[in-house]
Amino acid sequence: MECRDVREMADSFLAEELLTETNHEILRHLDTCPVCRTDLDGRRALREGMQRAFHRAPNLGPSPEFAARLRTTLQNTAQQAPARGGARFPGWWALAATVLLAVALGLVYRGRSAATGALARAAVGDHRNCALQFRLAEKPISLENAAQRFGTMYRVLEKLPPDDVATAVGPAQVLERHSCVYDGRRFAHIVFRYRGEPVSLLVTAVDGAFRLTLPGDARAHVTSSGRIDDMSVVSFRTSRQMVFFAGDIAQNDLLKLAEAVSIPLSRGLSATDGVGARSGIGASEDMYALDLGIVGSSAIRLQAR
Amino acid sequence: MAQKSAPAADQVFTAFEVEALPHLDRLFRLAMWFERNRAEAEDLVQETMMHALQSFHRFQPGTNCRAWLTTILQNVRRNRRRARGRSPLVDDPDDRIGQATPFVPPVPQELTDEDLLGALGRIPAPYQEVIVLCDVEELTYKEIADALAIPLGTVMSRLHRGRALLRAELGASTQGLRSRRAEI
Repeated sequence: MECRDVREMADSFLAEELLTETNHEILRHLDTCPVCRTDLDGRRALREGMQRAFHRAPNLGPSPEFAARLRTTLQNTAQQAPARGGARFPGWWALAATVLLAVALGLVYRGRSAATGALARAAVGDHRNCALQFRLAEKPISLENAAQRFGTMYRVLEKLPPDDVATAVGPAQVLERHSCVYDGRRFAHIVFRYRGEPVSLLVTAVDGAFRLTLPGDARAHVTSSGRIDDMSVVSFRTSRQMVFFAGDIAQNDLLKLAEAVSIPLSRGLSATDGVGARSGIGASEDMYALDLGIVGSSAIRLQAR
Repeated sequence: MAQKSAPAADQVFTAFEVEALPHLDRLFRLAMWFERNRAEAEDLVQETMMHALQSFHRFQPGTNCRAWLTTILQNVRRNRRRARGRSPLVDDPDDRIGQATPFVPPVPQELTDEDLLGALGRIPAPYQEVIVLCDVEELTYKEIADALAIPLGTVMSRLHRGRALLRAELGASTQGLRSRRAEI
């Protein structure tokens, strides 16, 4: 190993990021090279000096008042938080009754659960990787760009839902709208700030394999909900799209957001393909129960208006 | 029901207090360094800790809690910046900052805390981030990549370039200081 190699890897050596074999090679070189030893000592001193400076700078530390206040806030939050698990959804019996209604209406398409479950997982993956962690393989594009390339559905979502949505449990505010790809599937992606968390609305066009025939007499506005990978998920479908809501919030809160936007959103999306006009079926009637194939899923009736 | 859930809540908070709260000082220093504003830093840390508490069931005991908290802090920062319209969809400072690094003079032996933090504060923010997370907070490259949501290779290249910029800044600033002292 040459001096130049050692200098190149010196900081990674100090950060203990090198392979054991490489560490040994560097140590062997240092045994015989006082110049590199001095260089390494300088880098180590700089690193340690930075740590000391950072950790003792008086203007960077938290005040005792803030630390005490935060601790109290956290303790109160822990006491008030609902227990995770079955007790989380107080309206469970009502939901169960609606499940029976949905089944009775013949609106649960169990045969499609595997395919739709995969879609729901893709939606949750998109929420996690795009809205929370910003690490998609492909850069998101604007909805206008997506509209030009992939269809008018994306243009509708530039204005719909509106930037400020009122729900029964509080406001939701749009932070961002774009189109992105996750796991090979393109979504229109709208990120809300809702209940203090980023929550995603993801709309994806449904290809022929997923398309369902609309029952003309369907009156119930039904969606599915459940949890995937610790995320709450709510979904409904329009004539040509699957719509997902995903976020790390209580399932009932996510349902309230879905309730607030589903009808106008469904109408707007259906207007892009003229289904409502062509078939005489109102857009609000184009929603389906959908078995996501996920643990704890159930079909839930949304309040239409 | 409330009486039954209380012990569980206490247990959660106790575990959180043992595992996460000891990192408050270092987390706050990070937030202060990034935000340069005490009120902003307090908001950021409070939101981070609230998220951490609510997601504490996801924390794997035995893993690096400080790295986990740092990742949450960075996620909260990004969401807040995005809400304020400060960041583009994909922020890659390496596209904007020149690839060339200046001549690196030797780093002086005697440096004060002010010299070090002053020089660090003068290099571009993306380089400050990786240097602070690596050299000060001692996160691994992988943990830094996860926290900043950037590829591992970008972490390494930013560290390399950032350290060169830092050394250049330290050399230049202390040379200037010496010459000013000599004039006096």
